[in-house]
Amino acid sequence: MRKFNAMEKQTISSFASGLSAAILLIALISLVFFIVLKGSAYFWPSQVFKVTTYDKASNEVSVFVPSSVDIDEFTAALTNKLNEQFASSKQPIPLIAVEKVDAIYQINLHSGAIQHGNFQQINTPNSEIYQLAELNDVVASVAVFQRELREIQTTYLTVLHRKIAQLNQSGVSEKAPARLKELEQFTYWQQKADALSKKIAAYRLIFIDASGQPIDILVKDINHLFQPNMMSLFDKVSYSGNKIIEFISESPKQASTSGGVFPALFGTVLMVLLMAVIVAPFGAMAAIYLHEYAPNNMTTSVIRICVSNMAGVPSVVYGVFGLGFFVYTLGGSIDSLFYSDSLPSPTFGSPGLFWAALTMALLTLPVVIVSTEEGLRRVPEGLRAGSYALGATKMETIWKTVLPVASPGIMTGVILAIARAAGEVAPLILVGAVKFAPSLPVDGEFPFLHLERQFMHLGVFIYDGAFHNQTNTQGSSMMFASCMLLLLIVFILNLFAIIVRNRLRDRYVRI
Amino acid sequence: MLKLFETETLALDKLTDEQTAIKVKDFSVWLNNSLVLNKINMRIPKNKITAMIGQSGCGKSTLLSSFNRMNELNQKYAFSGEVQIDGRDIYNTKENVAKLRTGVGMVFQRPNPFPMSIYENVCFGLRIQGKTERRMLDDIVETSLRNAALWDEVKGRLFDSALLLSGGQQQRLVIARALALKPEILLLDEPTSALDPLTTLHIEELINQLKKTTTVVIVTHNMQQAARVSDYSVFLHQGELIEYSDSDSLFTMPAKKQTEDYITGRYG
Ligand SMILES: Nc1ncnc2c1ncn2[C@@H]1O[C@H](COP(=O)(O)OP(=O)(O)O)[C@@H](O)[C@H]1O
Ligand SMILES: [Mg+2]
Repeated sequence: MRKFNAMEKQTISSFASGLSAAILLIALISLVFFIVLKGSAYFWPSQVFKVTTYDKASNEVSVFVPSSVDIDEFTAALTNKLNEQFASSKQPIPLIAVEKVDAIYQINLHSGAIQHGNFQQINTPNSEIYQLAELNDVVASVAVFQRELREIQTTYLTVLHRKIAQLNQSGVSEKAPARLKELEQFTYWQQKADALSKKIAAYRLIFIDASGQPIDILVKDINHLFQPNMMSLFDKVSYSGNKIIEFISESPKQASTSGGVFPALFGTVLMVLLMAVIVAPFGAMAAIYLHEYAPNNMTTSVIRICVSNMAGVPSVVYGVFGLGFFVYTLGGSIDSLFYSDSLPSPTFGSPGLFWAALTMALLTLPVVIVSTEEGLRRVPEGLRAGSYALGATKMETIWKTVLPVASPGIMTGVILAIARAAGEVAPLILVGAVKFAPSLPVDGEFPFLHLERQFMHLGVFIYDGAFHNQTNTQGSSMMFASCMLLLLIVFILNLFAIIVRNRLRDRYVRI
Repeated sequence: MLKLFETETLALDKLTDEQTAIKVKDFSVWLNNSLVLNKINMRIPKNKITAMIGQSGCGKSTLLSSFNRMNELNQKYAFSGEVQIDGRDIYNTKENVAKLRTGVGMVFQRPNPFPMSIYENVCFGLRIQGKTERRMLDDIVETSLRNAALWDEVKGRLFDSALLLSGGQQQRLVIARALALKPEILLLDEPTSALDPLTTLHIEELINQLKKTTTVVIVTHNMQQAARVSDYSVFLHQGELIEYSDSDSLFTMPAKKQTEDYITGRYG
C-alpha cells in the first residue's frame, strides 16, 4: 500500500471530518423534515375523494375517503395497494372510480369524530325543515336552549338534590311537608329539563353518505362544518391555525386520535421544570462539595468516577429504582405518617408527578454535577485568593465569588438535563406518567399544585400512539404532530436556558 | 542612586516594639515537603515601605503571604516559628483569620477584580463585615477610589462591570478594594509587573501616599522600583534572608557579595 505524505494525510483527515459533519447535518435535517412533513398533515385540511368499488357480493359500494395528496397520486397509491391485495386471486381489481365531489361536507364533532356527506336537510322540533342557509340561526337557538338547560341544572336541580340528600341523612320522614315540597320542586324542574333536552335533541342535521344512506347528526354535537374540497388557500391556512390552537389547548379525543395534547404538553413542561428546580441546587451542592471541600484523595476520585458512571446507567433502571424506593418506600411512609386517614388507598404511595420529577432529577444529577464541576474548575484561583484576602470565609467566598462565575456551568448542566428529561419515556411510565390522566396536576383546588397526581407526558403519549395507531392515518399524523411539538418544546426550553446562561456569562466571566 | 521621596531612617536593629509592625521570629515554611523559607528573622517597621527582592522562586511571595496566613490555602503546607503583629503571634490557634486579613490587606501580581460592578468590588470587604448603610458605603467607596487614584476615571460609571476596566485601572481598583477596609498593613506582591511604565509610576506615587497611615510591604522584581519607593529592603536567596537594611545602604553599598551580585545583575 502506498504511504501518504503529511500533506495528503491532512487533506484526507479534513475531508473525512467534513464529510462526517455533513452526514450528521443531513441526518438531523431529514429527521426534522420528516417529522414536520408527517406532523403538519394533522393540521392541514384533507381533500375528500369518493371511492367506488365492488364488495364481495359484486354490489357497487362507495365511501368518502379523506386524503392529504392529490387525486392522481391517491388513485395510483390505491390501485397499487389493491393490485397487491388481489395479485394472487383471479378476481379483477374491484376499483371502479375515484372522484372528487366538490359539494361534499366535512362535519367535525365536539367528540373529535369526523363525518363526510352531502347535505340534505335540517330537522327541527316543530317538524319544520330548514336549509343550510339557516344553520347559523338553528345553532344559535340550540345554544340558547343549552344554556337554559345548564342553568336549570346548576341553580335548581343540583341544589334541590343536595337539600333532599341532607334531609334523607338527617332522617326526616318520607312524608314530612318540607321534604314533599322540595320533591315537588325537584320534579317540576326535572320535567322542564327533560322537555328542553328533548327539544335540543330534535334539532338534527341530515347528510347523505357516499352510498346514499342518511347520516343523522345532533346539531349540538357539531363543532365545525365546512366543504374541504372547495377551500381557498386562505381558508386552509385559517383552518390550520385553528387546528394548531386546538392541538395545544385541548384534551385528546377519540382515543387519542384527534383533539389536542394540552394535558401532555402541560405535564411535560411542569415535570421538567420541577425536575430542574430539584436537580440544579442538589447538583450544584454536590459539585461544590466535590470540588471545594472534599480532600484530594482516592475516595474523592472514586466518587467522581461513580458520578460519571451514573450517567451511563440505563434510564429504565432509574425508573425501577424510583418505583421501588421513592413511590413504595418513601411514598408509603409519607402515607402512613400524614395520610393515614385515607389508607389503604394511597396518596403519595402511588406513582405521581413529584416522584417522576424526583426520579428524573436523580437521572440527570450526574450531568449537572459534571458540568458544574467543569464550571468551578474554570474559576480563576486569583478570584478565590482576592476574596479570602478581604476577610471572607470559605462559605462567603464560594457563595459570593465562586458560584456566580460557575453559574454558566450549572446552567449548561441544567440545559442538558432538560433535554434529557423531556425526551425520556421508560422511567416515566413506571413512576407517574400515564397515557390518559383525568385531571391536570394544577387546578383551582387547594393546594393548587397536586404533586401526588398522575400526569400526561408528550413522550409517553407518542410512545402510546406509536403502538396503537400504526394503521390509522389520522391517529399516526397526530402522533407525528406530537413529535413535532416535543421537538419544539425541547428546543424552546433549551433556548431559554441558553439565553440565561449567556446572560450569566456576560455578567460574570471575563470578556 | 536616585531617590524620589526622602524620609528619616530608623536603625533596623534598634527598632522598639512600638515601631515594629511585623516581627518575624525563626519562621520556616515547607511547601510540598520541601523547605521554602529557612528560619527568617526580621522586624518590619511601622508606616514605612519595605521592599522584598530576590530571584524568582526564592520565597518572596511565600514570606509575604505568611503575614496574613494566605499560605494556608496551599494544600501541603507546614511551618515553624512565629509571626507577630501588634505583639500577637498570628499563628496562635485562636486567631480569627478572616479578621486578621481585614487588617492586613493584600494585592496580587495579576489584577483580580470580582465579576461585579466597580462599586461592589470596593464594598466587598465591608459587605462581608455586614455593613450595609448606603451613605457610609458611598463615602468609603469614594475615599478608597480617590486614595487609589482611580476616582476621576471611574466616578461616572461606578455601577459598570469592573471587568471592563483596563489592566492598570483594575490593579488600582484592587488596591482601592483593600484600602476600603483601612488596613494597618498592606502587602503588595509584584503589583506593577503586569503594567505599563506610566501606570507603574501612578501606583508608586500611590504607595508613597499610603505610607502616612499604613505599613507597606512590597515584593518586586524591579531593582529601580525597590530603590525608588522603599525605605527598607530585604534580599532573599533560596529561602534564606541574606541582607536586610535601609534601601540606601543596600543598593549603594551592599554588605554581602550575593546581594551585590544580584543588584548588579550578575544573576537573576
Ligand atoms: N503550592 C506550592 N507547592 C509546592 N511548592 C511551591 C508552591 N508554591 C511555591 N512553591 C515553591 O516555593 C518556592 C518559593 O515560591 P514563591 O514564594 O512563590 O517565590 P517568589 O515569589 O519569590 O518567586 C519556589 O521554589 C516554588 O517552586
Ligand atoms: Mg512571587
